[in-house]
Amino acid sequence: MKNFNITNISRIVVVLMTILTFTTSCTFDEEFDPNRPSLEGVLTDASENQLNNLIVGVESGMRGGVSGQTVHTGTMARELYKFDADPRNTGDLLGANGATLDNNSFYSTSVWAAKYRTIKNANILLEALENTSSVSAQNASGYRGFAKTVVAHQLIMLVKSYGRARVDVSDPTNLGPILGESEVLSQVVSMLDEALSDLSAAGTSFSFPLAGFDGFDTPSTFSQFNRAVKAVALVYAGNKSSALTALNSSFFNLNGDLETGPKHVFSLNAGDFTNGLYKIIDNNGDQIIVHNSFIADAEAGDKRVTDKTIVRSDPTTQDGLNGTHQTKLYATNISPIDIIRNEELVLLYAEANIPSNPTEAIKALNVIRSAAGLSDYTGVSTEAALVDELLTQRRYSFWCENHRMYDLRRYGKSATLPIDRPGDQVFNIIPIPLTENE
Amino acid sequence: MNRLIQKLSYALIASILMSSSYAYSQQITGNVQDEESNPIPGVTILIEGTDVGTTSDFDGNFSIDASDGDNLTFSFIGFQTQIVPVSEDFMTIVMSSEDTRLDEIIITGLGTSVKRRNLANAVGTVSSEELVGKTNQGTVDGALYGKIPGVNITSSSGAPGGGFALRLRGISSINGNNQPLFILDGVYLNNNEIPSGLRFASGANRGSEENAPNRIADLDPNDIENIEVLKGASAAAIYGTRANAGVIIITTKKGKAGKTKINLTQNLGFAEISNRLGMRDWTAASVEAAFGAGEVAKYNAAVGSFGLIDYEDEIYGNKGFISDTKLSVSGGNDKTQFYVGTSYRDEEGIIKLTGFDRFSLRANIDHKISNTFEISSSSNFIQGQSRRSFTGNENEGGLSYGYTLAFTRPWINLYPDASGNYPNNPNYAGNPLFVRDKAKNDDDNNRLIQSLKLTTKILDNGIDRVRMVWSGGLDFLANETYVYVPEIHQAQNGGDNGFIGVGKNNFKNYNLLGLGVWNRDALNGDLALTTQAGVSYLKRDADIVFNQATQLIPGQTTLGQGSAQAISQTQSEIEEFGYFGQIEGNYKDQFIATFGYRADKSSLNGDPNKFYGFPKASLAVNLQNFGNWNSGTIDQLKLRAAYGETGSSASFGSIFTSLNSTAVGGVGGSAIASLRGDANIEPETSQELEVGVDLRFLGKIGLELTYYNRNVKDLILSRSLPTSSGFSRETTNLADLENKGFEVGINIDAYDTDRFSWNSGIQFWLNRSEITRLDVPAFPQPGAGFGLGLGTFYIQEGQPVTQLAGNIGGVPTQIGNVEPDFQVSFNNNFTISKNLEIGFLIHWKEGGENINLSKLLTDLGGVTADLDTPEGQARASLGFVPQRFIEPAAYMRLREAGIYYNLPKDTFSWLSEDITNIKLGLTGRNLLTITDYSSYDPETSVNGGAGLSSGIEVTPYPNSKQYLFSLNVNF
Repeated sequence: MKNFNITNISRIVVVLMTILTFTTSCTFDEEFDPNRPSLEGVLTDASENQLNNLIVGVESGMRGGVSGQTVHTGTMARELYKFDADPRNTGDLLGANGATLDNNSFYSTSVWAAKYRTIKNANILLEALENTSSVSAQNASGYRGFAKTVVAHQLIMLVKSYGRARVDVSDPTNLGPILGESEVLSQVVSMLDEALSDLSAAGTSFSFPLAGFDGFDTPSTFSQFNRAVKAVALVYAGNKSSALTALNSSFFNLNGDLETGPKHVFSLNAGDFTNGLYKIIDNNGDQIIVHNSFIADAEAGDKRVTDKTIVRSDPTTQDGLNGTHQTKLYATNISPIDIIRNEELVLLYAEANIPSNPTEAIKALNVIRSAAGLSDYTGVSTEAALVDELLTQRRYSFWCENHRMYDLRRYGKSATLPIDRPGDQVFNIIPIPLTENE
Repeated sequence: MNRLIQKLSYALIASILMSSSYAYSQQITGNVQDEESNPIPGVTILIEGTDVGTTSDFDGNFSIDASDGDNLTFSFIGFQTQIVPVSEDFMTIVMSSEDTRLDEIIITGLGTSVKRRNLANAVGTVSSEELVGKTNQGTVDGALYGKIPGVNITSSSGAPGGGFALRLRGISSINGNNQPLFILDGVYLNNNEIPSGLRFASGANRGSEENAPNRIADLDPNDIENIEVLKGASAAAIYGTRANAGVIIITTKKGKAGKTKINLTQNLGFAEISNRLGMRDWTAASVEAAFGAGEVAKYNAAVGSFGLIDYEDEIYGNKGFISDTKLSVSGGNDKTQFYVGTSYRDEEGIIKLTGFDRFSLRANIDHKISNTFEISSSSNFIQGQSRRSFTGNENEGGLSYGYTLAFTRPWINLYPDASGNYPNNPNYAGNPLFVRDKAKNDDDNNRLIQSLKLTTKILDNGIDRVRMVWSGGLDFLANETYVYVPEIHQAQNGGDNGFIGVGKNNFKNYNLLGLGVWNRDALNGDLALTTQAGVSYLKRDADIVFNQATQLIPGQTTLGQGSAQAISQTQSEIEEFGYFGQIEGNYKDQFIATFGYRADKSSLNGDPNKFYGFPKASLAVNLQNFGNWNSGTIDQLKLRAAYGETGSSASFGSIFTSLNSTAVGGVGGSAIASLRGDANIEPETSQELEVGVDLRFLGKIGLELTYYNRNVKDLILSRSLPTSSGFSRETTNLADLENKGFEVGINIDAYDTDRFSWNSGIQFWLNRSEITRLDVPAFPQPGAGFGLGLGTFYIQEGQPVTQLAGNIGGVPTQIGNVEPDFQVSFNNNFTISKNLEIGFLIHWKEGGENINLSKLLTDLGGVTADLDTPEGQARASLGFVPQRFIEPAAYMRLREAGIYYNLPKDTFSWLSEDITNIKLGLTGRNLLTITDYSSYDPETSVNGGAGLSSGIEVTPYPNSKQYLFSLNVNF
């Protein structure tokens, strides 16, 4: 018969291994993200370096949603068509076949999310400042003034598309109510004033770098941007006299370079973005096509038409729509996009003077007309005529810059837009995203 | 004290045995053979009721001292055990192979097995013959179609090398991986789907839209001896926290003692597209109506010269050559057995220049060191490559063929001119011929899968047998991806000016298992108790590095030649540790009961050191073994019930709220990530009850009926947050989900004679799901569709998890459901005169809908073939509303068919005496599909295999049918 022939040594090994097997245990370490810094890390005793990283996050994030918002509202305002593979660009946004705008499609969700992500980054920066001693009170004021100004600017962008916004979003688990336009704008104005007082306590220079704010990167020059944003909010809110006051403290210059102003800058560097509104000339399948009415309605000799658009070598058709011109607003995919430029301030100045001071308004409008190669305004000085002239100048000065839809909405003139196809409708406001659970 | 008793009992037992064998013994001799009269070495021969025994030698001969009246038991793996009374004459024992399904050995615990006749679960098994016997198969998951009830398989890409979504008994997780756990010879396999990063060139929204293959594709199906599918929690509970989506246990081939066997198999054939969409029947009038008067001139010019070009045929019309060569050698003696196999598969796709090749080398060794120690090693090295080109979703990349074809009009000439310059496509952002010929999306995989198992018999006294098993496995995968889009590609030229993406991805999986098994025969052998307990440890490391370069120097194809570069790296380390124990009692094969428990902790959970428990219990009652009521016509009548729980932890990173890197103006910084982490996340757990009846009668007909009900509690959901919070997603425990279903398996061995044999199998299954609890308002599942405007998966209490919803009149409304009403597969094998074998497998999926967004694109591009028909015009008049693209996705398909002929021996015996068998065959896959679905294939998934994905189509790689000639030679 066969018997077991375990030697003593192997018997001991087996027994030890068995004991080891059944008594094995191990304790896992607390987990941390091996790939990225944690939110908790910056909220407790952040270093100056960490705060500056958040500044970069805020400024970088401001660019988010810009091209989407511009294309969606530009389509709705019949400035342009986006011809690509998504039928909603030529369907939903133009109200084709009785379509309604969906509250869970890219045009309703993406801009909302991008703007609030920037607001979140600014709020994280503000919260980090409360919990750190690594920067002086003066420097902290600089961070705060920057962050609050950006939040206010982003809220205005939300109002332009959605007509409403949440202002109190500091606690992600307990969000404040969605407020109406006038309430949002009035909170934006007080937020900007708060930011201004922070900036005035921030000394002579910021302790952080900015990329697109050349000429606006000290507390005092950044304050000019702050006032420009305030002027925008006040004009939109209909408070024209206060708007004129704000303009005076901004970088508004009736006789200055219309191009002056802070910009969204782009690059091909790692982690950076490119300009999504740049389109390769004569490419197909991804184009911003100029609405034919923009060409047809232009005054003869308006340089803005030829500066901003170009005739395609091949006219294009999609979904029953067609166009002969395409965008050439940006020369390359790293060309900057203006945040606010003097041209807008001049037109805000004109608007703020209608109807109180028609002469001053016409003077400002003529600055714009002259820059576009047009002769001076010859129309009447009634409020209605000047508003029409203002909207025309804004239409041509800000083609494909996210103004037209909101301009027509706030003046109640959306119904004047052309209809391209039978069954199309004009929409002038985008629904609040489904996930806000209204 | 115990040791003393143990020693004494040894001595006592030994002396009794020795005294008995001295008393009346005589030498008995004989020979053991198989049915074909080949000797079987290594057969264990025991005097019944003792552990006195011997084994047969190399020639099958044995001799043993036994006495009159003794019975000898002959046992050997793969053969039915025989009990024969001793005879003084030379005994010739013919052992028949163990092929009846009831005696099939099923692995139930981690270290034990049970015969199917005693099993309390409906465990699906697929043998090598069933897996690859009818036709050659490229991947393991693709080969399982229609072979097991309750297993739903969807091809997410028709590209060579696969891309499959496997679902066992419905959806078990919404956010986590729904792909089952694959265990190969004890190694926990990596089945990742590794995106190549082509989305950074194509504009696809996420990695899952890149149509990457899942890495089970690395396994050679021909190496597999057997696959067991533990479909639900009741069967898979002992695998604990990794088993929520079921477990697929793969056992590879092992050598058998005896003559060395050599097998050579060669398959040659081709693949072609299974369904074409065709071209619209253009006229000058329809061209003008669709695209305006300006287009008519181009149309007329084309018709007058080169004619209309069928770009679908140009892109998808390739006949892809397939070659699969396999050589295996197996054999061994009673101490050592080996199996060595090598194979090379080269498969070309239906798009020119796409393809998949795989070299696999396997060595399996089993060695009996002594009566105490046995060691098994299974090693597999794989080198594989695929060239998948560009398919699936994109945004303005000009790369994905389906997109390009949807807009390209047939009167446009896109062929290169004499100097090789490809014209720009005036209809879309890319020229598909240029993309096919010049752009690349390749991967390269080097993989080592190794398992090692040591078994130690600690005790065997006839009543108690104790053994320890230690096993370890490792799975190392080095994956490299390479994406190249030349700078002159239309969507690149003037923008990013070329794109190179290089991924270097390393995955290391380790698993260790230590367990003890104690078998005890109690109640005089009437009750067999099997107890096991042990520990398990698992570690999975991943390091994903992606390098990207744009702004390329013309013509250059390496990273350094781009002036805009970016790198990203994602590391993860996952550890899991668990204890398990199980006790199984078998009373006279009448009652078989099992109780088990597993406790697991995982670094993926909010508390990495908290143990979660997963119990199981089952009972099988074999009524045929009670008394003697059974007349013999009923081979088995078994009632069975099983309950078990399993878990699934959140995916890596779900507990973290982190900052992403960003940059502006050349300065780097941090911005909040869109995922809000949940530091308290718990695993989701399945609780499954399964009941069933197994009936087998007349020795021919088997019937398995199973009903199951599975509740997934605390489902981990990646839910959409109000984005005004600054976050867009949160992954947390939010819902409960119920799956219930019914499975029927029928096996009929209708005839089994020398002249003709026929066996047939019918499988039927269905599943229904419902979300029974949802703590948040209904929401569209992020990343599983394209919003309510086009139709998406929509998570809603009281509704199936597989429902598709769209925005109708501002209200999210159910517009479809991807869950089939039921599925049936019908499998038949005929053998005529022992030489001719014919088999086929038909798979019928009834019900279920898809969202066909490929059609949305072709409608938008105006090229859908039916746009001139009344149906097409009716559709076009609907506008782009979500219900427009819902289509029934039922189908009936001839999955596999094969006809084989075994050459008579005299036709080749002159060649070599060593050749034992030559078999020739003609086989095919997916030869015929009957469906109302209007796109390439009703099986589709825009988001690959993970999560909720199947059933939404956006321009996939079309599926193909395959025709193969096969030659099989055995030495």
